[in-house]
Amino acid sequence: MNATVIIIFLFIVLMTLVITYYAAKRTNSASDFYTAGGGLTGWQNGMAIAGDYLSAASFLGIAGSIALFGFDGFLFSIGYLVAYLVVLFVVAEPLRNLGKYTLADMINARFNAKKVRGAAALSSITIVIFYMIAQLVGAGALIQLLFGIEYIWAVLLVGIMMTIYVLFGGMTATSWVQIIKAVLLMVGTVILSFLVLKNFNFNIFEMFTQMKTATPHGEAYLQPGVRYEIPLDTISLMLALVLGTAGLPHILMRFFTVRDAKTARSSVMWATWIVGIFYVMTIFLGFGAAAFVGADLITSTNPAGNMAAPLLAQALGGDILMSFISAVAFATILAVVAGLVLSGASAFAHDIYGQIIKKGKATERQQMLAARYASVGVAVFSIILAIFAQSLNVAFLVSLAFCIAASANLPVIVYTIFWKKFNTTGAISAILTGLISALVLVSVSPSVISPEAGAAIFTGNPLFPLTNPAIVSIPLGFIGGFVGTLLSKEVNAKQFAEVKVRANTGGFKQL
Amino acid sequence: MARTAEELALEKAAQREQASKNPQDRGGPLHVPDFEEIERSESFKDLMKKKKQFLIPTTILFLGLYLLFNVVISYTNWLDAPFVGDIPWVWVFAFGLFAMTWILVTVYMKRAAKFDQMAEETLKEFGYEDKEDIR
Repeated sequence: MNATVIIIFLFIVLMTLVITYYAAKRTNSASDFYTAGGGLTGWQNGMAIAGDYLSAASFLGIAGSIALFGFDGFLFSIGYLVAYLVVLFVVAEPLRNLGKYTLADMINARFNAKKVRGAAALSSITIVIFYMIAQLVGAGALIQLLFGIEYIWAVLLVGIMMTIYVLFGGMTATSWVQIIKAVLLMVGTVILSFLVLKNFNFNIFEMFTQMKTATPHGEAYLQPGVRYEIPLDTISLMLALVLGTAGLPHILMRFFTVRDAKTARSSVMWATWIVGIFYVMTIFLGFGAAAFVGADLITSTNPAGNMAAPLLAQALGGDILMSFISAVAFATILAVVAGLVLSGASAFAHDIYGQIIKKGKATERQQMLAARYASVGVAVFSIILAIFAQSLNVAFLVSLAFCIAASANLPVIVYTIFWKKFNTTGAISAILTGLISALVLVSVSPSVISPEAGAAIFTGNPLFPLTNPAIVSIPLGFIGGFVGTLLSKEVNAKQFAEVKVRANTGGFKQL
Repeated sequence: MARTAEELALEKAAQREQASKNPQDRGGPLHVPDFEEIERSESFKDLMKKKKQFLIPTTILFLGLYLLFNVVISYTNWLDAPFVGDIPWVWVFAFGLFAMTWILVTVYMKRAAKFDQMAEETLKEFGYEDKEDIR
C-alpha cells in the first residue's frame, strides 16, 4: 500500500463519516430512518439507485469478465439494464403509492393479513442475507487484494463502516453515501474509458479490429459462447436478471424515499441513464484491460479477473489513478452493503416487530430503537456468516438473490396490482412457492453439488441440471399464486378497487 | 386463524368510520371515499384503458425482444457475422437493447405526464383535489 492509496482511502472514509454526522442530526423518526423523510428529488434518488445497484461485482467483476471472456462478460449487463423497464412499468409507481417502508406494506395495502406480511418479510430477509454474504465475501477478498489487509480485517472494516452509516445516519446517510459513490464511480469510469479510447485513437472500429487478435480467444472473443456453453442455463440466468431487479428489497426500498409516484418515475429514468452509460463504458474497461494489461497478468493477480480495472488504471494512469480506482471500488462496496443492511433491518423491525408483534401500535421511540437494534443484528449476523464463508464460491449467491426476487416477490406484486380475484391464500402461496422452489432447486443444482471434487459444497451428481433455477421457479411462483387463490373462497374485490384506485391515481396515500 | 375477507372488510370499514368521525386527528377528508364508485367511473376507466394500451404492448415488446435475443445468441451463430468492419452483429443488437430501454423510458415519461393529468382529473371529480391533504 502506498501513501496515495491511504490518503484517498482516508478521505473517502472521512467524507462519509461527516455525511453520517449531519444525517444523524436529521434522523429523528422511523420515517427519517427508513426513507430519509421521503424528501429526495428525482435525480438524487436516481443516483442513489445507481449507487445501490452497481456493486463491486458490476464494476470490477464485469470489467474483468469482459477482459477475459469478451462478449459473454458483457451479457449480464443487458439483463441488468433492461430490468429497469420492469421496475418502471410494473413496480415503481404502485409501490410508492401504496407502501410506506417495505414491500410487505404494499402487499398488505390489499390484504392486511399478518401471514402475508410474515411471508413477504421472510423472502426479503432471505434475499438480503444471500446478497449481503456475496457482497461481504467479495468485498473482503477485494480489499485484501487492493490494500493488502487480511481477509477477516477487511470484512470487519467494511462491516463496521456500513453499521455506522445505517445505525446513526439511517437512510439519509445511506442515500448520500450512494450518491457520492455513484459520482466517484462515474468519474473513475469516464477517466479510464477516455484513456482506453485514446489508445485506440478514438476509433471504435479500430478497437474491435485490434480486439480480434489481442486475446487468446481470437475472433471468438467478440462473439457469444466463450464462457456460457449451456443455452438453457444462460436463458434461465438472463430471465432471473431481467425479472429479479423489480423484486430486490434494497432497490424497492429506494422508492419510499421520494414524495410521490412522479418522482419515483423520474428517479428510475435517471437510474436507467446512469446505469446504462456505466455498462457501456465497462466495455471499454474490459477491452482496454485485455489489450493493455493482458489476460495472463489479470488471471495471475486474481483468477476471476476482479483486478482487471485496477490493473488497467495502473497501466494507463500509473499509481495515482490505480489508487483512485481502488478507493472508488471501496466506496462502491460500502454503498451497496449499507443499502442492504437498511432493507434487512426494515423487514425485521418494521414488518416483524412493528406490524406483526406490536400490531402497528409501537411508539415512535420503540420503532426507532427496533430499527437500530435490527440494523446492528443484520450487520453482525452477515459479518459472522461472511467470515465463515470466505472459501465459498459466492458468485452464484448474487444470481440466486435475483432468482428468489423474481420467483417470490415479482408474482405477488403483479397479482396484487392487477388481479381482482387474488386473495390472502394466493399471496402466501405465491411467495412461499417461489421462495421454496428457488431454494430447493439451487440446493440440488451444480452450484451446490458438483461431480468435480472441491468445485462446490458437495461432491456428487446434481439432481437439477441448471445452475440458476429461474426458468422453473419463476413460473412456479406465478402458478403457486394462481392455485392458492383458486383454493380459497375468499374474495376481496373491495380492497382491489381501493388498491387499483390508489396505485393508479396516487391519491388517498395513508388511508 | 386467518380472518375472512368479509371480517377484514368490516374491520377496515369500522376503522374508517372511526377516522371520519375525528377528521382533525387524521387531517383527512370528512367522508370515506367509495373506491368502487371511483373504479366504476368513466374517467377512471378511461385512465386504466389508456395505461393498458401503452403498458401491455410495450411490455410484451421489450420482454419478447430481450428473450428472443438471448435465445438467438444461445442456440444459433446468426449474430456472429460482422456488421461493419470487425464489429459482429451481436454487439449491434446488444446496443439496440440498450437503446430500446432508453427510448421506452423516454416515451413512458411523456405518456405518464398525461396519465398524471387524467388521474388528477379523476380525483377532482370526486372532490379530492389536493392529494397532499388526503391523509
